[in-house]
Amino acid sequence: MTTTDFAGRRTFLKLGAAGAGALAMPGILRAQDKPSEIIVRAWGGAWGDALKEGVADPFTAATGIPVRLDFTEDNEIKPKIWAAVDQGRIPPIHVNWDTTTNATISALRGVTVDLSDLSNLEGLLPLAKPTGLEGYPLVNTYAYVYVCAYRPEAFPDGAPDSWTVMLDPKFKGRVALYDDGIGFNPIAVIAGGGSFEDIPGNMEPGYEFYRKLKENAPLLGEDADFTTWFQNGEIDLACTISVNARAARQSGIDVEWTVPKEGCKVDTDGLWVPRGLPANEEHWAKEFVNFALSREAQEKWCSLLGLPPVFPGIAPPADLVGDPSYPTTPADFERLVSVPSPVLVENQPVWFAKFSEIFQG
Amino acid sequence: MSHMKYPISWRLLDALEAAAAVLWPARMRRLTAWALLAPALFLVGVLVIGLGYMVEYSLHELDLSTYRLKEAYSLTNYQTILDRPVYARVLGRTLLGAVLVTAISVALAFPYAYAIVRTPSAMVRKALLVALFLPFFIGQVVRAYGWLIVLGREGLVNSALAGMGLPTVDLLFTYPAVIFGLVQYMLPFAILLLVPALAAIPEDMELASESLGARWTSTFRHVVIPMAKPGLIGASVVVFTLTLTDFAMPEILGGGTSDFIASAIYDSFFQISNPGLGAALSMVLVTLGSLIVAGVFLVAGTGTLGVRGAK
Repeated sequence: MTTTDFAGRRTFLKLGAAGAGALAMPGILRAQDKPSEIIVRAWGGAWGDALKEGVADPFTAATGIPVRLDFTEDNEIKPKIWAAVDQGRIPPIHVNWDTTTNATISALRGVTVDLSDLSNLEGLLPLAKPTGLEGYPLVNTYAYVYVCAYRPEAFPDGAPDSWTVMLDPKFKGRVALYDDGIGFNPIAVIAGGGSFEDIPGNMEPGYEFYRKLKENAPLLGEDADFTTWFQNGEIDLACTISVNARAARQSGIDVEWTVPKEGCKVDTDGLWVPRGLPANEEHWAKEFVNFALSREAQEKWCSLLGLPPVFPGIAPPADLVGDPSYPTTPADFERLVSVPSPVLVENQPVWFAKFSEIFQG
Repeated sequence: MSHMKYPISWRLLDALEAAAAVLWPARMRRLTAWALLAPALFLVGVLVIGLGYMVEYSLHELDLSTYRLKEAYSLTNYQTILDRPVYARVLGRTLLGAVLVTAISVALAFPYAYAIVRTPSAMVRKALLVALFLPFFIGQVVRAYGWLIVLGREGLVNSALAGMGLPTVDLLFTYPAVIFGLVQYMLPFAILLLVPALAAIPEDMELASESLGARWTSTFRHVVIPMAKPGLIGASVVVFTLTLTDFAMPEILGGGTSDFIASAIYDSFFQISNPGLGAALSMVLVTLGSLIVAGVFLVAGTGTLGVRGAK
């Protein structure tokens, strides 16, 4: 091989690369064309308000792209996105704000876009990385705790110190849980005499706890139900996410919360982008997620929610300093019960079936 | 006489007739009935295709590692329904609810419909019709939430009880609360289906019966009820099937522990992302509902709906 040959080939490669770049340029530029809006699926009430104020509005201010929140139930948007991706249609939303368990299920199904190239991932707490999955098919954005919320009027001697108070006959018909057992299944095992090590192999102590609890006629519902029930004086005690309890208190309802001695389940929510979006919309959907991970957005959004963000070093809101539902140190997390997402994904259907069998039987 | 002297409406009709003759020639007339039926047949066809898909889904088990249905055909989902007693209990609760709601709704609807048809006062008839149609403007979910306010612990009923110095009672989030809500929702449907049947009974028949010495109760039993049979069967079938598939009332007024089978189907599709199991439960519900309705028609005969030529 002569020098001339070598130089010629290099020149040819340079020219080729330049040509390819020139040809690809319109595509790259098109990929950054701003869409008319970004649709983000969200939960309503205090949740949606926090996302709007903390992330959506600042994102619009920074990019000029309006953000529309879609309040379709998280469980109902899931099959719509799955069907759209499978059928090669454009998904109905750009970003899904989802529980990590549900997001993991969507990732296992292969409908999520990899977010590993987001610049704001660097420096986040390890909590941001989904477990049991390659790369970042979703990104966790904060942690939250299923607290024991109660009406102080019903507990004149102070906060309940054990979840077993739910079995007290004087609270018959005045205790509430999520209607799928979410947030309480591991706690039921511990409150029923088992231990964390029993999960998921031996859930029987939890099921026994549920059988006893059924005698106390608990109400089963969703986030919005808990607020209504507390407001209408229908319940004295509920296992609910601290955000709901805090929102209820902020709206004037007399509600407090605590972490009983058995602990409370801690979990995470995340954001993910569905596959099948046009290139420019996928680009800006990812930009939205990236923005939600910035210090500015995390500080505002999570402060409004009252939840610990995945961005390190952000101080808790004044009313939650030292609150056990706002874990910040390893010692705080030790009081809480965390079940890895892969375990939840694998066992949730089984736990749900048993939960239904006990409470619907 | 000039053609122009015909009224304009005649000429318009002539023009329309001429256009119709071009668009739909006389030789096509034997197909007219089918053409008119075509939209309805199309909709039924879409429904049948949907049901076909449901049957197909129901024969595939969920793969928990990918959350997709396995390709292999199996009866696992139906076996799951048989293996888990909770489904039999929920189905039993749904069937019992449908029977109770049908019986109560039709029993309450009958005198109301009779009053609408027979009242001599136009004012009373109008008032009864307004009260009948008013609930149709309020959706089922809104009405259920209305009951939460009325029957809640701090609702109107309990406030009234407390005001009278009586102890408050738990009226919500029980099976009777669900039945109550459903009856209130189904009552207008039952009345609407009974009114035409009762209106079709000539008042002279009742007068003839009474003039022949029959007491009012005998006339009611031997004349009105048998002649109202088409309405009674129609109302019962509609209320029964609507209740059998109802979702909102048990969900809102049941407090999560008095679910009907529609909730179990919803949970399978959306809560645990198992469309195979949800489809299998749907097929069980469709089959059961169809068999019961077919049984009713078998015993009562489709002629009870006033279908000409049917027995």
